[in-house]
Amino acid sequence: MTITPPPSSDATRLVTPAMLVLWLVLATVPLWIAKVGLYPYLGIEILIWSLYALAFNLVLGTAGLPSFGHGAYFGIGAYAFGLCQFNVVANLWVCLVAAFAVAGLAGALVALFISHRRGIYYAFMTIAFGQIFWTLAIKSHGITGGEDGLLKIARLPADFGVASFNLNDNVAFYYFVLVLFALAVMAMWRLTHSPYGRVVAAIKQSETRAAHLGYNVWIYKASIFTLSAAISGLAGGLFAMAQLAAFPDVMSLHQSGYVVMMTLVGGGLVSFWGPVVGVFVFLIARDVIGALTNAWMLYFGLLFIAIVLFRPEGIAGAVSAAFQKHSLIRRQGNSAMRLLFGGERWR
Amino acid sequence: MFDLLPHLLNGLTLGLLFALIALGFMLIVGLMEQINLAHGSLFALGAYFAMQLMGSRPPFPAELVKVWFAMPLGWRYAATLVIAPAAVGLVGIAIEFCMRRTYGKDPLYGLLLTFGAAMVIEETIRLVWGTRDYVLQVPQAVSGGFLFGDLIWSTYRFYAAGISVAIIGVVWLVIEKTSFGATVKAGAHDSEIVRALGINLTRLRLLVFVLGTVLAAIAGIIVAPIWGIRPHMGVDAVIPAFLVIVLGGVGSFWGAVVAGLLVGLCVGLSGAYASEWSLLSMYILLVAVVTFRARGLWGKKSVLEA
Amino acid sequence: MKKRGISRRGVLKGSLMASVIGGTGSFFGPWKENRVWAQGAAKPIKLGLTCDASGQYGNSGQDDMRGILMAIDEVNAKGGVMGRKITWITADTETTPATGSRVAERFITREDCTILLGAIHSGVANAITQVASKYGVIYMNTNSSAPSEAGENCSRVKFVWDGNGTNFSKASVKNAVDSIGKNWMLLTNDYVWGHTTSASTKGLVESSGGKIVDNLLVPQNTRDFTAYLLKIQQAKPDVVATAIGGDDIKALREQVAQLKLDGKPAWINNQQDWPDVWGSPDSLFGVFGTTWYHKLQLPGVAEFVKKWQATNKEGGIPVPGNVSYNGYMATRELLKAIERAGSTNNVKIIKELENLKVPATDRMQHFDAYMDPVTHQMQQTIYLARRNAKPVDKTDLFDIISWTEPKAAEDTAAAAKCKLVPYEQVPTVDS
Repeated sequence: MTITPPPSSDATRLVTPAMLVLWLVLATVPLWIAKVGLYPYLGIEILIWSLYALAFNLVLGTAGLPSFGHGAYFGIGAYAFGLCQFNVVANLWVCLVAAFAVAGLAGALVALFISHRRGIYYAFMTIAFGQIFWTLAIKSHGITGGEDGLLKIARLPADFGVASFNLNDNVAFYYFVLVLFALAVMAMWRLTHSPYGRVVAAIKQSETRAAHLGYNVWIYKASIFTLSAAISGLAGGLFAMAQLAAFPDVMSLHQSGYVVMMTLVGGGLVSFWGPVVGVFVFLIARDVIGALTNAWMLYFGLLFIAIVLFRPEGIAGAVSAAFQKHSLIRRQGNSAMRLLFGGERWR
Repeated sequence: MFDLLPHLLNGLTLGLLFALIALGFMLIVGLMEQINLAHGSLFALGAYFAMQLMGSRPPFPAELVKVWFAMPLGWRYAATLVIAPAAVGLVGIAIEFCMRRTYGKDPLYGLLLTFGAAMVIEETIRLVWGTRDYVLQVPQAVSGGFLFGDLIWSTYRFYAAGISVAIIGVVWLVIEKTSFGATVKAGAHDSEIVRALGINLTRLRLLVFVLGTVLAAIAGIIVAPIWGIRPHMGVDAVIPAFLVIVLGGVGSFWGAVVAGLLVGLCVGLSGAYASEWSLLSMYILLVAVVTFRARGLWGKKSVLEA
Repeated sequence: MKKRGISRRGVLKGSLMASVIGGTGSFFGPWKENRVWAQGAAKPIKLGLTCDASGQYGNSGQDDMRGILMAIDEVNAKGGVMGRKITWITADTETTPATGSRVAERFITREDCTILLGAIHSGVANAITQVASKYGVIYMNTNSSAPSEAGENCSRVKFVWDGNGTNFSKASVKNAVDSIGKNWMLLTNDYVWGHTTSASTKGLVESSGGKIVDNLLVPQNTRDFTAYLLKIQQAKPDVVATAIGGDDIKALREQVAQLKLDGKPAWINNQQDWPDVWGSPDSLFGVFGTTWYHKLQLPGVAEFVKKWQATNKEGGIPVPGNVSYNGYMATRELLKAIERAGSTNNVKIIKELENLKVPATDRMQHFDAYMDPVTHQMQQTIYLARRNAKPVDKTDLFDIISWTEPKAAEDTAAAAKCKLVPYEQVPTVDS
């Protein structure tokens, strides 16, 4: 992107106006989602995938590392959540931490092998590890249930000591996911705008230059990958709760490809919010196009090609560019669009 | 030891097939520094076109159909080996035209574009031919089995391995021993020089891409009688192709061939002695090699590792 | 299917227009729906069809749906159930468990479906079962044949209509040990279905006096079986029993046929689904199982095939096979059970189905069939077949060589693994 970022203090904030607007809008979703012909479960799925895509984008967008096997960590998180519930303790907080930690551990292990690699070699190493984890999940059916899935995972109650909330109802669970989503977004926003995040972004620009400046590139590459895997695992744990089960399919190369597509279609390479935009477009387009034809992948593929050819910066990038042109003339604007897409240049 | 020999032989023939599958992918990666994820779909398309030509309803006008069926099966097969890849080459031209917009940008965009193309081709295959699977007819001379060392071997497999050797040889000759090859290689390393020499770089890239496409289609036709023809076969091919290239190292012709053989041996031998790990073994092989060698076996410096 | 699709969409557009004009402004989401009720009629009963249209089992999923729709049409032509018409809605479950969960959630919470039908892939079926049992919605597992479906993963709301690997092993193994030979080799796909199927084969071989000389585990997505075929030739077993599924069995079939290895050793395969067989008939080999065949010499079969063909001219499969048959039977018996129960209350329907007995003539099979009340699996005639050497037409691919009565093929270990929740714990559903 060649557009110069407008001066903005958002980078230093814990909560930006864009976040507030987004959260408020999302908080009202259960009130109207049924009226537009959708259903709360779809809302849950969109939130979880948004969290997953944001975590993935720490690697792809922020650090510029092509990881094509990220589904593995999402899946490991889901299994970790279920297995913790069955074998360790049926406590929501413990099991969510387990999902985060186990996926992070798997990510750290992989990071050990790949962080000194670049480009195509890096990309294929992530694919290879993704395939290894996926195969192991199917093979170890004594633990994971194999292709039958790890079933009967419960939505454990959210126990705060003073009060405990039952999450079995989809609307209650939606709000629970929303709160976690909000917290994770704040954390990721701070992270990308911290000194650490700026070094990672510098590595994206040029690994060699960052190394010459004295940064230990390996440590940064390994740590951001580990962190991204851990947050993906957290999203996976939530997904296991949503589905009441965990299946190996989310770990396949196919599904790992989806999160790459969502992130790029949305504009993850140029905007913090790109992955979220992509998830909304992808999941809703799948439903709408899927209504008209079983060959929805054909049309989505064509849309994807068109985006790569004509709007390689993705939807968020395009909207942001369009808005900035607009605002250069108007020299003002406080609309939600600016808040969502144009307000925070983050690179 | 005598137990081991058949499996070594099997691994070698399998390896040659992997090398053939990776060949078109390698050309495009090595000479254009673009990752063509549509490689597998073009591979599948080759098989489907061939199946259509060899089937009971070839896509010709009525008079030509008569002539076509008057030819013996062997002739028809030979003609199919030319016509189907040429038709797939046209699809390759279309993809290359789209790809031009991504040249000079991050190679990620070329990869994504071809990923989209792969989705579109696979879905189109589903729409046109349905989800069922097909069998590609081959001439009697190369089908069936023969007895060797008390074991029945597939004749077709050795025919396919032989074809692989021949095609690998021809491609090597074209790249190393012709002026076209010299220009192409120069273009890959330094497009400035090629331009200065007054060579049309646009046309050169188109030619390389089409050559890669045609090779993908030929591989599809050769492998189809072994794997069967179904929409998913493209994905089954592109992952090993990608793996072979990364293992061999970007830009290394013999690296890819050796990597193909290694993968074949690895899958073949583990299939016999640790069967449940046979498919995973190739990934483990890759991790083992790339952990210690930054550019696979004999990879060269490339923009693909920026 | 194409024709139906268009007309359905027509209906959808019509109602969209109506709602826009009516000012309700309701957004019509991504589903295909069939509204057949006239004004003033009793409220229809709405079924959700969770059939794969894409992914590995897209082909079979659509064949499943053809059978389901045929049963619905028959009942509607007779005036419905208890005077109420049957409406239905479907969406592609993509052979993906996550999609299965979402579609089931939508059908139940948004579309008010009170019963779900349709399954091929065990992961998808389990995902749907999880959602269905959360809401107490009855789910007809038409075609997913993993033994765990009626074992550890059974459910009070789920009924399983297909025969499973254990059923087919029971029908084939003892006979083969006696008549072919005692040295067996297993070729097992390395995932749950493969392992459970091979485990039951192994037990039966050993209890019949045979022995397993080797068990080769084959990873999922194996396309090249040469290493295994060489290994089999080196070991020289009398019989090779395979538990290979999906696209892998198709590749294996082609490679075995090419080498003409289908004579010796003898091959015993598990169930072969008709939509897969129809895809590559030339490479059928060995002995394999099925629950139904369109040329069974039984009363009613020919009429059933004609009727099926009349409504399914498109779709690429010319005659109904076991998948379509299971879909049809599950739906027909479900609707009859509602009629008998005289209620759409879920527990009442479940109790009816648990006591279900279907005479052989109604089943179009050789023996009477019955629902096992403990495991919720339909116990039915199991057929063994081989490739037909003298077909009377191009669809006549099977030569049925034996039929085994339900009791003899029963999966006796399942009952101990299946724990159904008490009726009181099933949330009440009524429509």
